[in-house]
Amino acid sequence: LTTLLDVCTSQQLSFVHQHVSPLLKKDPFTSLPDELCLRILSFIDDPKVLARASQVSRRWRDLLSDDMTWKNLCVKHDYQRRMSEVNHNPPMQLSPLPSAVRSEGFTFGSQDSDTASRGLPSAALPSCGLPTGSMSIDGSVTQFATPRPRLKSYKSHFKQRYLVDAAWRTGGRNISKNITQEAGVVTSLHLTSKYIIVALDNAKIHVFDTEGNAQRTLQGHVMGVWAMVPWDDILVSGGCDRDVRVWDLTTGNCLYTLRGHTSTVRCLKMSDANTAISGSRDTTLRIWDIRTGHCKNVLVGHQASVRCLEIKGDIIVSGSYDTTAKVWSISEGRCLFTLQGHYSQIYAIAFDGYRVATGSLDTSVRIWDAKSGECLAILQGHTSLVGQLQMRGGTLVTGGSDGSVRVWSLERFCPIHRLAAHDNSVTSLQFDDTRVVSGGSDGRVKVWDLKTGHLVRELITQGEAVWRVAFEEEKCVAMALKNSRTVMEVWNFSPPEDALE
Amino acid sequence: MSDTKVTKVVLQSNDGTTIEVDRVVAERSMLIKNLIEDLGDESVTTSAIPIPNVNDPVLRKVVEWCEKHRGDSLQSAEDESETRKKVTEIDEWDQKFMQVDQEMLFEIILAANYLDIKALLDVGCKTVANMIKGKSPEEIRKTFNITNDFTPEEEEQIRRENEWAEDR
Repeated sequence: LTTLLDVCTSQQLSFVHQHVSPLLKKDPFTSLPDELCLRILSFIDDPKVLARASQVSRRWRDLLSDDMTWKNLCVKHDYQRRMSEVNHNPPMQLSPLPSAVRSEGFTFGSQDSDTASRGLPSAALPSCGLPTGSMSIDGSVTQFATPRPRLKSYKSHFKQRYLVDAAWRTGGRNISKNITQEAGVVTSLHLTSKYIIVALDNAKIHVFDTEGNAQRTLQGHVMGVWAMVPWDDILVSGGCDRDVRVWDLTTGNCLYTLRGHTSTVRCLKMSDANTAISGSRDTTLRIWDIRTGHCKNVLVGHQASVRCLEIKGDIIVSGSYDTTAKVWSISEGRCLFTLQGHYSQIYAIAFDGYRVATGSLDTSVRIWDAKSGECLAILQGHTSLVGQLQMRGGTLVTGGSDGSVRVWSLERFCPIHRLAAHDNSVTSLQFDDTRVVSGGSDGRVKVWDLKTGHLVRELITQGEAVWRVAFEEEKCVAMALKNSRTVMEVWNFSPPEDALE
Repeated sequence: MSDTKVTKVVLQSNDGTTIEVDRVVAERSMLIKNLIEDLGDESVTTSAIPIPNVNDPVLRKVVEWCEKHRGDSLQSAEDESETRKKVTEIDEWDQKFMQVDQEMLFEIILAANYLDIKALLDVGCKTVANMIKGKSPEEIRKTFNITNDFTPEEEEQIRRENEWAEDR
C-alpha cells in the first residue's frame, strides 16, 4: 500500500484523502460510558438544547429519557417545588385575601401573606429563631393532609412547568365578562381551587367556577361588602351593614348572620375551618365560631378602626388607623404586644408566623418580631401610602399609592427591585416563587419576573382601573373597570391536554 | 507513616513512559491519593505508580492541569452539587487548556474519570456541553461524527415529541 501511495500524484492523494478521512472519524461518545454522557448533559440547562440533542440518534434519545437529567433541570429552573403542590386541596387558600376601602375613588387593600398555602421555607427565618412552643404555628394550614399526587416523570413535570411559564410570557387564553352594568367597586377577589369569588360595594357577592362561569350570587348584605374569606365551601363576609355572614358556597345559602360589631367590618380572616376573626371600624376584633354562630371573644385595645389583620396558628396580628399594630393570642383572648412606631395609619399587614410587616400612610414599611414585639427594620423608599404587602419566605413585596412595586430581602432588610409599575396607585399585588402580578389604578395588569425584576408582559387590555388581581400557578383573574363597567378577566395558562400526552 | 513525607512520585503511563511529579500534584487524583495511602510512602519512593488506562500524551496533559490547579481546594460533595447548579462557566486557562482535538478531549475526560479528578472531569464535560449548545440535531451529529440511526418515521416522531421546547 505504501508503494502504491508513493507513486500517486498529489491530486490522487487528495482524492484518497477525501475518501479516507471520513472513515477515520469516529463518534467519540461511543467510548464514553452512559454515566459520563449524562454528566455532560447535566451541564446543559436549556431544555431546547436537550430536546434537540435527543433527536440526534437512538443512543442520545435513550440518554435523554434518563429522568435524572430532567430532575437536574427542574432544580436549575426552580421547578422542584411543585411536585408537592400539584394537588392543591382545600381548605387551601390559593389567593390573597384582599379587603379594600374607597379612597380617591380607588381601592387600597391589604394582602394576605399567602405563605401558608405554598409552604414556608424554613430557611427563610434565620435571625428570629422562634421556639415553636411559645407561638405554635398551626400545622394544619401548612401541611398536606392528602397523599401526594401521582408522581409524574421529571421530564413531563419539567415540560408542564416550562409550557406554563411560556404561556405566562407570551401565550394563555382569556375570557372577559361583564359583572355589572354599572361601575361597581370590587372590594375583594378570591381565587381558590374551586371558585372565583368577587365582592362588590353594591352588597352583592358573585361566585364563579374557576373557568369564570357564573354559579350564584350571594344576597343578604344590605350595604357594601368590604371583606370576605373563603374556606373550602364556606365563605365568611362582612361590610358596611356591620354583619358578618357565613355562606355555603355550594348552595348559596346564608348559614349565619353574626351580629356584634357596631361599625363597618373592614377585614376578615379564618384561623381554621371553625373560626373566623373580623376587624371593624368599631376598633374591635371579634372571634367567631362559625359552626355554632357564636362570638367567642371580643378583642379590645385599638383606639381606631381595625384596617387589616392576619393569622398564623393561635396568633392574630392586626393593623389599625390608630397607627399601631397588635399581636393577639386567640386562645388567651388577649393582646400580647402593641407594635408602636408608625406615624400614621396602618393599611396593610403581613405575617409569616415569625415576622410582621406593616405598611402605613407614613410611607414606610416596618418589620417586627412577633415574639418580642421589637421593630426589626424600617423599610423606606415608597413616597406615598403603602397599601399592598405580601410576605413569602425571605421576600417581601410592597405596593404603594406612588405606583411603585418594591421587592425587599427580609434577610438583609434592603430593596432588591424597585419597579416603576403603574402610573397611579398600585391597587393589588401578589407574588409567588416566579412572578409578581400587580394591578394599578392606571388600568393595567403587569407581570414581573421576581428574580430579575423585569416586566414579563401586560395581561389585560387596558381599562380605566384595575380593582383586584389574583393568580395561582396556571391562572390569573383580574377585576377591572372598562368602559364604565366592572369586568372580570380570567386568564388560563394551562398547556392544552394534548401537549402533555 | 514516616515523618519526612515523600514529595515526589513517579507515574507510569500505559506505554511505559514515566513522569515525575510533586506528590501534591499527583494527589489531585483521588485514585492516586488513595493508592499512596494504601501502599504507604515507602513503596511509592521505590517504584513508579502504574496508570494502566492512560497513555503518555494524555497523562502529560492531565499532569499539566494538575500542576496548574495544585493549590485549588478540593470540592466536597455538597459543594459539588451547589456548583453544578451554576451555569457552565469555564475559567480562561482551562478553556485554553481544553483547546485540543476531539479525541484528546474525550480521552482527558475518560482519564479524569478514571483517575477521579472531579474538577478536571467537570471542565471536560462542560467543554463538550458547550459544543452541543446552540446546534441543531444535524449539526451535533456533524460535530461528533454521530450516525443518525433513526428511521425517518422515528425521526419525525421524536421531532414532534420535542417541539414543545422550541422557541415560543
